[in-house]
Amino acid sequence: MAELAPSRIEVRDLTLMYGHDTVLDALSLPIPAGKVTVLAGPNGCGKSTLLRAIRRLHLGQRGQILLDGVDIGSLGAKDLARQIGLLAQSPSAPPDMSVEELVRLGRYPHQAMLQPWSEKDGAAVHRAMEGTGVDNLRHRRIGSLSGGQLQRAWIAMVLAQETDIICLDEPVNHLDMAHQLDCLDLVAKLNREDGRTIVLVLHDLNLAARYADQLVFVHEGRVRALGKPEELMMPELLAEVFEVDAAIMTDPVHGRPICIPRGRAKVKRVREVA
Amino acid sequence: MASTMALPNRRSRLGASKATVYAGLIGLMALSMLMSLTLGYKIYSLDQVFGALFAHDGSETAVVIAGLRLPRALIAPLTGAALGMAGVIVQTLSRNRIASPDTLGLNGGASLAVVVGSVVFGVQSLAGLSLAAAFGAFITSIVVFGVAASAGGLSPLKIVLVGVTFASLSHALVEVILTSNEAQLQQLLFWLSGAFVDRPISLFYNGLPVVLVGAVLGIGLSRALDALQADDSTAAGLGVPLAAVRGVAFLAVALLTGAAVSMAGPVAFVGLVVPHAARRLVGLRHIHQLPAAALFGAVYTTLADVAARFVIYPVEAPVGAITAVVGAVVLLVLLARRAA
Repeated sequence: MAELAPSRIEVRDLTLMYGHDTVLDALSLPIPAGKVTVLAGPNGCGKSTLLRAIRRLHLGQRGQILLDGVDIGSLGAKDLARQIGLLAQSPSAPPDMSVEELVRLGRYPHQAMLQPWSEKDGAAVHRAMEGTGVDNLRHRRIGSLSGGQLQRAWIAMVLAQETDIICLDEPVNHLDMAHQLDCLDLVAKLNREDGRTIVLVLHDLNLAARYADQLVFVHEGRVRALGKPEELMMPELLAEVFEVDAAIMTDPVHGRPICIPRGRAKVKRVREVA
Repeated sequence: MASTMALPNRRSRLGASKATVYAGLIGLMALSMLMSLTLGYKIYSLDQVFGALFAHDGSETAVVIAGLRLPRALIAPLTGAALGMAGVIVQTLSRNRIASPDTLGLNGGASLAVVVGSVVFGVQSLAGLSLAAAFGAFITSIVVFGVAASAGGLSPLKIVLVGVTFASLSHALVEVILTSNEAQLQQLLFWLSGAFVDRPISLFYNGLPVVLVGAVLGIGLSRALDALQADDSTAAGLGVPLAAVRGVAFLAVALLTGAAVSMAGPVAFVGLVVPHAARRLVGLRHIHQLPAAALFGAVYTTLADVAARFVIYPVEAPVGAITAVVGAVVLLVLLARRAA
């Protein structure tokens, strides 16, 4: 695998169980600084759980997660929230909340209990709304927004948190094709222009290959493979992890690999012998 | 493109800044309290009212105004303020716009605790009964949320169903206890339905600090409550300590509801109606939602108490009946709009 930047986050031998079900099985993963890492895998493979564990919304039973070499378990809740932002899967807020009220929520980890709203807070909210193009919607109720506008408002909320690392859990679900690109281009811009470290969970493999610096295939609670998209988009690997028989081509526009599924894979899955 | 044009904000269309809203509400509160002092079976002039308040000459006017009307004019707004703030917090915690201290059974639990404390344990002091009311509300909130959660997730409708069940249950238990203790029936009857008639002014002095503590807790949590309006994952992602915030918030709700019940008994649906008005006036941030709900609740309850004196004049209607009618209409409208 090609050498990427040094790791911001290092997942080490993380085992996470819900009751008796092992969701993550001694999983290890480096997340390089300033890069876009995309977690992909079939339903139930543990990729969302892994993302949420990185944001400490789930606690593992064994192993650890290091942020700049420090165990995230030892950080305070607000401290961690100033370093890692999370856009949850299908987030919700009251429909009569205004866009600006929603974006202001992102300032929570920067404020002490009764500390008044500061200029810094105002500037961060303003920048977040401008960067996502929702500043002209600031007084609109979020219940009146279109799907694409709403998702940009939520991204603005996470941006107002001003974290170096941003985790997004399936941010383009329920969006049409144009708004999927709109949303992911925005995320790519945050990475390119501000050098933020991005961790994404995506279902669509072609979108994953297009936006990832580091692509990660999660399978049965383990990292099956990681690397550049062109290293991972291989017919045998897709057959094993996703159970599809796919042809791989190079996207003539972006030069990224794309897959065209022919159908369910007929090959029997082979478990790697460790 | 029409869809991306900034439409005027529904709230700013009221054309009032927050300072104007607060000034207006404070003015209305003062006005409603004056109405509460002057209007009733007998109508007094402002001169008579001020004369009676500042000169205790023992005249009939002075006795009626200082002894009967003043307590109502103080207890009604404090009760409304407490229930309004409790309603805001409960609706945020349950992410449910039809939740309130009533629909979650907290009023009922507080009443039951007062009656049990009085009849079974012989508690007589007002402080003791207030404490019992707060305790009852707190226990009920834990039980209702516990049962709703164990019944598979805290869906808004499920919480209300469990709450209404507990409200009926505690109401039934209160009736059983009171009818089997007829000697105490008369003096405890007001725990069955809310009223401000014949309340000693000491109830106000007793309730005031409890309401203040509840209000301070609520305001202190205002930013965390803002974040809790979003889903749990988002709130936790922002660094909100969910369990701790919920625990303190429930304590605030229990203190506010308990204080209200200890002063007036269960005044129906105030906590359901008032938060809706507050949000329309000042928006969803709790640092504004809570004070606006306190002020609007004070105005609403005081006016309801004045209205209760006239709807079946010369006899007084129970104020709880007035707020129940208004609240029922609002609840039906909200349900029809599927705000739940």
